[in-house]
Amino acid sequence: MECTVIAETSGNSIHPITAQLVGAASSLGATPIVVVPGGAGAEEAASIDGVSKVISVVGDCFSTFDSGAWASAIASQCSGVVIAGATPIGREVASRVAAKKGIPIIQDATDLAPGITITRPIYSGKAVETSTVSGDCVITLRANAFDAAGSDGSASVNVVDQSADISIAVKEAISKASERLDVSEADIIISGGRGIGQKENFSHLEEVADIIGAAVGASRAVVDEWGMPHSMQVGQTGKTVTPSLYIAVGISGAIQHLAGMRSSKYIVAINKDPDAPIFGVADYGIVATWEEAVPALKSALAAL
Amino acid sequence: MPYEALDFYDVDSLLTDEERMVRDMVRDFVDEEVIPKIEHACRDGVFPDEWRVALGEMGVLGAPLKGYDCPGLSYTAYGVICRELERGDSGLRSFASVQGSLAMYPIWDFGSEEQKQHYLPKMASGEWIGCFGLTEPDYGSNPGDMITKAEDMGDHYLLNGAKMWITNGTVAQLAVVWAKLDGVIRGFIVEKDDPGFSAPEMKGKHSLKASVTSELVFQDCKIPKDRILPNVKGLRGPFSCLNNARFGISWGAVGAAQACFDSAKDYALSRIQFTHPIASYQLVQNKLAWMLREITKAQLLAYHLGQKKDAGTWIPEHISLAKMNNVDIALEIAREARDIHGANGILDEYCIMRHMANLESVKTYEGTHDIHNLILGRHITGIQAFTREL
Amino acid sequence: MNFKTTTLRPLKFIDGIPVEGTSKGNHMTIAVLLKQVPDTTAKISVNGGRVDENAVSKWSFSPYDEYALEAALQLKESTGGEIVAITAGPARCEKLLRDAAAVGADTLVHVSAENFNEFDSTQVQNLLAAAVQKSSASLIFCGKQAADTNAGSTGPGVAELIGASCVTLVTEVSSEGGGYTATRPSSSGHEKVAVSAPCVFAFDKGVSEMRRPNVRGIMMAKKKPIETWSVGDLGVDIGANGVNIDSHSPPAEKPPGQKFEGAESVSTVVSKLRDEANVI
Ligand SMILES: Cc1cc2nc3c(=O)[nH]c(=O)nc-3n(C[C@H](O)[C@H](O)[C@H](O)COP(=O)(O)OP(=O)(O)OC[C@H]3O[C@@H](n4cnc5c(N)ncnc54)[C@H](O)[C@@H]3O)c2cc1C
Ligand SMILES: Cc1cc2nc3c(=O)[nH]c(=O)nc-3n(C[C@H](O)[C@H](O)[C@H](O)COP(=O)(O)OP(=O)(O)OC[C@H]3O[C@@H](n4cnc5c(N)ncnc54)[C@H](O)[C@@H]3O)c2cc1C
Repeated sequence: MECTVIAETSGNSIHPITAQLVGAASSLGATPIVVVPGGAGAEEAASIDGVSKVISVVGDCFSTFDSGAWASAIASQCSGVVIAGATPIGREVASRVAAKKGIPIIQDATDLAPGITITRPIYSGKAVETSTVSGDCVITLRANAFDAAGSDGSASVNVVDQSADISIAVKEAISKASERLDVSEADIIISGGRGIGQKENFSHLEEVADIIGAAVGASRAVVDEWGMPHSMQVGQTGKTVTPSLYIAVGISGAIQHLAGMRSSKYIVAINKDPDAPIFGVADYGIVATWEEAVPALKSALAAL
Repeated sequence: MPYEALDFYDVDSLLTDEERMVRDMVRDFVDEEVIPKIEHACRDGVFPDEWRVALGEMGVLGAPLKGYDCPGLSYTAYGVICRELERGDSGLRSFASVQGSLAMYPIWDFGSEEQKQHYLPKMASGEWIGCFGLTEPDYGSNPGDMITKAEDMGDHYLLNGAKMWITNGTVAQLAVVWAKLDGVIRGFIVEKDDPGFSAPEMKGKHSLKASVTSELVFQDCKIPKDRILPNVKGLRGPFSCLNNARFGISWGAVGAAQACFDSAKDYALSRIQFTHPIASYQLVQNKLAWMLREITKAQLLAYHLGQKKDAGTWIPEHISLAKMNNVDIALEIAREARDIHGANGILDEYCIMRHMANLESVKTYEGTHDIHNLILGRHITGIQAFTREL
Repeated sequence: MNFKTTTLRPLKFIDGIPVEGTSKGNHMTIAVLLKQVPDTTAKISVNGGRVDENAVSKWSFSPYDEYALEAALQLKESTGGEIVAITAGPARCEKLLRDAAAVGADTLVHVSAENFNEFDSTQVQNLLAAAVQKSSASLIFCGKQAADTNAGSTGPGVAELIGASCVTLVTEVSSEGGGYTATRPSSSGHEKVAVSAPCVFAFDKGVSEMRRPNVRGIMMAKKKPIETWSVGDLGVDIGANGVNIDSHSPPAEKPPGQKFEGAESVSTVVSKLRDEANVI
């Protein structure tokens, strides 16, 4: 099967998802060509197992993100089934490549089977769609849903000089806003309760939140007793939240707290009491004090 | 979580698209702006001014009135608006009832062309608030014997007397005041700054805490001649206003009942006693089933009354029956819901006790429960029983 | 399959009546692509291998589309112009157009396709691109992805088909000079980028929530005609479906909760969050 992987780059190197894209292509029996937009990390891409050849497309247009220009520059290198990462850049470039070629695109696949049968979540994960494509198509894959290929390969790297007109000009960079996400809109929330001991210790949760782009929430007990802002309160009389991941630290899991967070997709609980009711709703429970578990969490997340 | 209204018989599917759009608009407003703030407003005993602004911006004040920048919606739409507002709080609905049915309506129906043009656009936009002065300290159910009087002084009228229990009085720019001129009840528009007029707020209410209730005091209050409502005489004036307001209440009470039902249902499902949710016990289910039954009947009653109002085939007794019934069941539902909530039911964390206390006022104003019984009794028998004199 | 532009004749509307030609000079038209989806809080159930539409308790705007519509309304307020709300889908979608009109959309276009849910991305984009061209819009506002398919292909795909620039994950757009400035995320935070028309702006959560309608808007919306364009009216060959949807199914049951002892287990849990749960 003819197959092209559009590599995801990150700064001057290849993003780890690229090896997963190759791994997925291999599972379909393909030996893909890897196209590296802008060429960053092309040598790295060549060392991924199962790659037939790397095409490093270099040109001025890759200095600014303009999906139209990028797609114009790389589309002619993409043939057969095109696989990209379901990252913001991957999705957008892949969409334009598909439209340019007049072939369908299926985004955010979590499983592939020869045929090609594609599985992907729809309705924010409330249902799953299985579909089959027979001709050429573009598929983007969810990060970490596929096994990465190894790194013992030694494919050749062809450099292609191909730019395209850019129609987007960056005028001004706005550095990251330091204000924290609100719990009602965050995809990941880490909440603290009375078990955290005192208000000042929330700084440990904030450090974790910074690493994974999470919002910080709180139980009512600490909102009432330590004067944390009410906007942080999760629960019946606070916010009802449904993030992908909710991490409850030192929260017992009173019914009024559960009312606000039990529909989260995944729940992690850290509590020193093995009988705390929060473990009843947790997908992953960790019986430990926060003093031990939170620093471990910080380093494990930072190492990802 | 957005509110999913109890509508067991799909009564809202009978509404027009436009009525449903108005419903959704008001419903969102209540979810986003009212419910998060209502307990605070009650604790502080204030009607938040931003609600006035929002009601004006949405364009729902004086809903069924046409022309003069008024919305021109159906009476059914007006009912729906009242229902959605009162799901938030009866005080909020009271504000809208008084503004639309009791202050704008008499100007619209009985006012001069100049009065309509001068007052109605500003009242529809919420810029000016109106109030309605009928009840007096000594004359509640029996307003016909009111003692507030107006005298024709040639180039002006002089008002003397006092009104009591007047919603919005202190915050209003104008009051529609009913007073006797030569022994005949007439309507007058009194403006806030008219000499001899004051409107002190009544404090200490345990009910409708987020609504302003006031006295209106007239001491040789001098008003220009062009402030009399030229086109009505006698009790027909205030009673026509009350018919419209009572109509709105018959819908509004359903909203309060729905709020109590929702809270009771959620609570019963999550509260575990004797190792099971209390919702799994027959006695609790019986209460919930009864609430569902009464709310569904009340919804059908309100909807059908709305159709009659829009078709012009109604009589005041139809409205009496709906106002009386729907407020009555709403109050009973609030009490049952309070019971289901156990001790939590008395906290202001839950809407129950607030609705219950509010509904006590709603039961009394706009014709007490028993006054409506008497209206229906007279209709059935042809014998009035309000007074012993025949 | 090729996108044909030849048969498209721009249509203009004044008070909802189609008017030939572009007599208003360089009067700007903004097309807002809106999709009707089950409210994000609604329960999704599957029946007969498809998500059961009849069981959906409430249909709404796809949330990111609301930000797009609000941003378009604000742009129109500052620079003038006209907003054409375009939705593709079955008859139920007309309600969405009325809601858009109630907050200020000037022209309502329903690209009617009863089997829209079965269309593949190429078909959807060809249809919408044709509708956009027919509306003669030079700016296209849409959401970064729809809340049902969660795909995010439409904005960039339509841009490609009509030869427009595309900025995605936009939070704000303003007009500046003869062009437009949009705010989008960058690797170091956010950046403002300059583009000129024709351009597609695919919105993330924007800076302003969609405004609430008012009664006046609702009454006007009721009277506003809805232009219904069928696939045939658009004169576009959308070709055959290249993707066959085999089935929809409920998500796999989550495995029962797992409990670990001690802080040593944190790294195990973190790997599971990445590889098993896929949430970090
Ligand atoms: C009407 C009503 C509405 C309410 N609404 C809400 C609401 O919206 N939100 C809400 O949260 N609550 C609400 N509550 C309060 C709720 O009942 C609980 O009281 C509250 O959630 C308890 O907060 P907590 O879990 O932080 O504290 P606790 O219940 O005191 O739990 C503290 C937990 O920390 C653990 N712990 C202690 N030390 C450590 C350590 N060193 N490391 C790890 N774990 C430790 C303990 O084992 C314990 O499980 C409401 C109550 C009522 C009556
Ligand atoms: C919060 C609030 C806001 C109000 N807002 C306004 C307003 O904006 N404008 C305004 O004009 N008024 C307003 N009112 C006044 C309201 O309309 C009166 O309270 C109502 O008409 C009843 O009058 P009353 O309180 O004097 O009771 P009364 O008339 O004294 O009645 C007391 C009891 O006697 C019963 N009763 C009376 N007559 C008879 C009879 N003949 N046979 C049998 N039973 C009888 C009643 O049913 C009741 O149970 C408001 C009241 C409240 C509580």
